[in-house]
Amino acid sequence: MANPLKLIKNGIVNENPTFVQVIGMCPTLAVTSSAINGIGMGLSTTAVLIFANIFVSLLRKVIPDTVRIPCFIVVIATFVTIIEFALKAYLPALNASLGLYIPLIVVNCLILARAEAFASKNGPVAAAFDGIGMGLGFTIALGVLGLVREFIGAGTLFDITVLPEAFPRTLLFVMAPGAFFTLACLMAALNHFRNKN
Amino acid sequence: MNMKEVLKPAIVLLIIAGVAAALLGVVSEVTKAPIAAQAEKTLNEGMMAVMPDGGSFTEITDAEKTGTIQNIYKAENGGFVITTAPGGFGGAVNTMVGIGADGVITGLRVTSHSETPGLGAKSTDPSFYEQFAGKSGTLAVTKDGGEIVPITSSTITSRAVCSGAQEALDWVAANGGAY
Repeated sequence: MANPLKLIKNGIVNENPTFVQVIGMCPTLAVTSSAINGIGMGLSTTAVLIFANIFVSLLRKVIPDTVRIPCFIVVIATFVTIIEFALKAYLPALNASLGLYIPLIVVNCLILARAEAFASKNGPVAAAFDGIGMGLGFTIALGVLGLVREFIGAGTLFDITVLPEAFPRTLLFVMAPGAFFTLACLMAALNHFRNKN
Repeated sequence: MNMKEVLKPAIVLLIIAGVAAALLGVVSEVTKAPIAAQAEKTLNEGMMAVMPDGGSFTEITDAEKTGTIQNIYKAENGGFVITTAPGGFGGAVNTMVGIGADGVITGLRVTSHSETPGLGAKSTDPSFYEQFAGKSGTLAVTKDGGEIVPITSSTITSRAVCSGAQEALDWVAANGGAY
């Protein structure tokens, strides 16, 4: 088994799902209008990713190659739905803040991509660490995107006003085009540093 | 291709789907009652917020629902709590309006919406929704000659909330006496 720390670093840096693999763009662009939204989406996805990876890894020898994708989708969707029910029933406060993201996780191709590329070829422990790494990489990316957009667009950080009232807000940044601009700029900056090294 | 190659994947998929369905069925059954209880609690808390002196609320199901009115509840003190879903900038803006027996708004909340964060989403700020309490008659934003100060750069959302409150007021004016 690969070194757990290496797997986590791989998810956050070398193969960061957002900035390097550029997958799961739909939730990335849609929910990062504020830092807290980005982090909320990231952490919910991380939780699902870890468990989906473990389950897929455990079932990897049972699932025939020809029907692996439908099997993965069933496993992921079942898991997400159970979480959704449980949150609604027993943790209404958490559901109020995360409820918005849970259904979006099912269609996040990051989960399916890890099931296909990693979990179906590795043991459950390695798969769990891959889930943690990829999930954290996704959370950090979404958090940074949200932070930048919220700061420029609304003048706040984590809902606390930091820019003076008189300072102009660029509202475009909390709207859909701002998501693309911010992502493009961050990706360009990261690629620049990576090429330098 | 022999039979085994075709059947095996199908059977595995069938078993996985079957187990998943059974699991979901069990979880759905177990969580049904707590989820319903939570939904009712949230609704009651909302009604208490828009009409603190309302006492208990009973839903009126046989009333004619005009416009975007969703549900109508009669309060013990003779007032009404009405939920409406007027169209905003990004979809329906769900509002809950409390209207006293005298036809004056006792409170208003935006319960859910998909407005732009940082703009229309500010309709959930007290500084905006608290303007509605104590209003009656015809509501409009200042731009349209009314008294409601709209959220900066979000006239569409502000107008939607106004029209939701207006629908509720009009319903009480027209039908309130009958219930």
